[in-house]
Amino acid sequence: MRLLRGNQALCEALTQEMTQDERVFVMGEDVAAHGGIYRVTEGLLTCFGPTRVMDTPISESGFVGLAVGAAMLGMRPVVEIMSCGWITVAMDQIVNSAAKVRYVNNGGMHVPVVIRTVISGSGNVYTGQELEAWFFHVPGLKVVAPSNPYDAKGLLISSIRDPDPVIFFEHKSLYSMRGEVPEETYVLPFGQAKVRREGSDVTVVAYSGMVAVAEEAAHELAGEGVEAEVIDPRTLVPFDKKTIVESVCKTGRLVVVHESVRRGGVGAEIAAAVIDSDAFGYLRAPILRVTNPGVPIPFSATLRKIVSPGKDEVVAAVRRVMAYA
Amino acid sequence: MITSEVSYLKSSAILKPDDLVRMYRLMLLSRRFTECSLEWYREGRLPHGLHPSIGQEAIGVGACYGLRPGDWVLPSLRTTEAFWTRDVSILQQLNAEMGNAASVSRGKEASHHAGYPGNGILSGTSIVGGSIPVAVGAGLALRMQGTDHVVISFFGDGASNRGDFHEALNLASVLKVPVVFVCENNGYAQTVPASTAMALKDIADRAAGYGMPGLVIDGQDVEAVYQATQSAIQRARTGVGPTLLECKTNRFRVHHPFFEEDRSPDEVARCWERDPIEILGARLKEKGWLGQADIERMEQQIRQELEEAIREAEAVPTPTPEEVFTQIYAESLGEMGL
Repeated sequence: MRLLRGNQALCEALTQEMTQDERVFVMGEDVAAHGGIYRVTEGLLTCFGPTRVMDTPISESGFVGLAVGAAMLGMRPVVEIMSCGWITVAMDQIVNSAAKVRYVNNGGMHVPVVIRTVISGSGNVYTGQELEAWFFHVPGLKVVAPSNPYDAKGLLISSIRDPDPVIFFEHKSLYSMRGEVPEETYVLPFGQAKVRREGSDVTVVAYSGMVAVAEEAAHELAGEGVEAEVIDPRTLVPFDKKTIVESVCKTGRLVVVHESVRRGGVGAEIAAAVIDSDAFGYLRAPILRVTNPGVPIPFSATLRKIVSPGKDEVVAAVRRVMAYA
Repeated sequence: MITSEVSYLKSSAILKPDDLVRMYRLMLLSRRFTECSLEWYREGRLPHGLHPSIGQEAIGVGACYGLRPGDWVLPSLRTTEAFWTRDVSILQQLNAEMGNAASVSRGKEASHHAGYPGNGILSGTSIVGGSIPVAVGAGLALRMQGTDHVVISFFGDGASNRGDFHEALNLASVLKVPVVFVCENNGYAQTVPASTAMALKDIADRAAGYGMPGLVIDGQDVEAVYQATQSAIQRARTGVGPTLLECKTNRFRVHHPFFEEDRSPDEVARCWERDPIEILGARLKEKGWLGQADIERMEQQIRQELEEAIREAEAVPTPTPEEVFTQIYAESLGEMGL
């Protein structure tokens, strides 16, 4: 099968959906003539013209609000927020408008909008943030975080076709990651985790950019005779609790990896969901989280390495849980 | 204000005597509905206090009156009149105020943020000004769908200090979205006077910053509101672009029954000197299009409609408990919600 980079896979998803559904349109900063700073919208302006591919002023709250209003009247907007740090400016429109419309209208209106944003972007305290937990917390929003080009295409198409607002997190490393991507259109259902690697000793749950890190760690651990099962939930809301619970029943150990801050993070919820479940009785070790310890993303690469989880931290956490009999 | 646009905006649309009488009735209905609602709230018959629009009735009626089916409005929390003018019934709005099992949201939200898609009314939020970009987005959709429909976005003077107002006006202007911005300037953001919150006299002047015409309208004169809105609607429909209309008005009552009145009795009394219902009533009487007996008949009819509606609404049960879990998403997440 042909190989595509993540940004090409996303671009193909947009192109195919815009071709088959004229309600789909794209807006954001630098998305039209420039093709997006990560080239995800490259060529769309030529294909679909300026009414469906719109550059916006630097008005994140304003244009997310526009997308919500357009979605309420039947359009399918896909909005790009160039970095996750800037999504904070649009929080009111996401949390108070997009997430609430279906509920307050008792389903009489809904908001099929996709808000794409970049996590772990060019490193600094503002643009480099990973804020998926904020959206994970809000009823009414769906949260998607693909880890590879194949999932990125399928999940973006599913997101565009989904009747509810979707916050779609693209890890910066995804854009240059190459992977097999079919040419045809396909969807990946929400709430279906992918077992990236089977193993019997420990379950490692990771999403977005941390899946590759977890797989790398699993490879190293295999050399020590430890078989890690790496699970990528792919969508955080809805969340495939079943696959993870079943895995922990088998392995008795769980390590959760995410690049974002530990406190109030998605990892805590995953751990709690496992403790609440039938897997509780199977646990043979404490559940560990490998995360940002609670530090703003520093500029210096040396400092950043301390903050962002890598293979070595995952390996160390697995060794710790393996020390329990 | 862009002066070259002014003459265009002054082009007048014709209102027949019947129309004016209908507008009078809509304003009167709104006044009596609001008064009764406040009374019923005090008596504990309604769980929710309305933000009274008393004194501001000419704006919602005048702006919405000439809309066509397929046009949309997004009311402010005080644009009660938009609902009547777009044919929402008293019973529907009382059900919404009660949050009962027959309410449009099934008890999930109160009447002032109720959306009625069938009547071209979009739901707003409690975040003042946050709905302005949403209204612009609705207009963008209508244009992308190849229609000539328009959207009216209502908001107060307080909302015009929100960044969303400025972003929305800029976006609407640059994208030439078919939207009309109607500012209900009653001089107060809850209790804070506009003079403390902005350093300019007319909010309409803000339009110039976004390359669109801005006009000051007498918000107590329903015909003036109608004429100005019609011109702005025409401008939007024909793809020329958006317009900002600042309707100067007064809120005759306190912001919300939960609040105490901070304004002096003198100031409030002065508001009543320009009652939009009295202004139109006097005009209609002078022309002989509406007599005192007609008005009394109208009053009686409205009172009866209100009494019947509240009785009917009170007979509706509260929402069933399972209602609370519906319509968070298109499908229930079940354990996939964690």
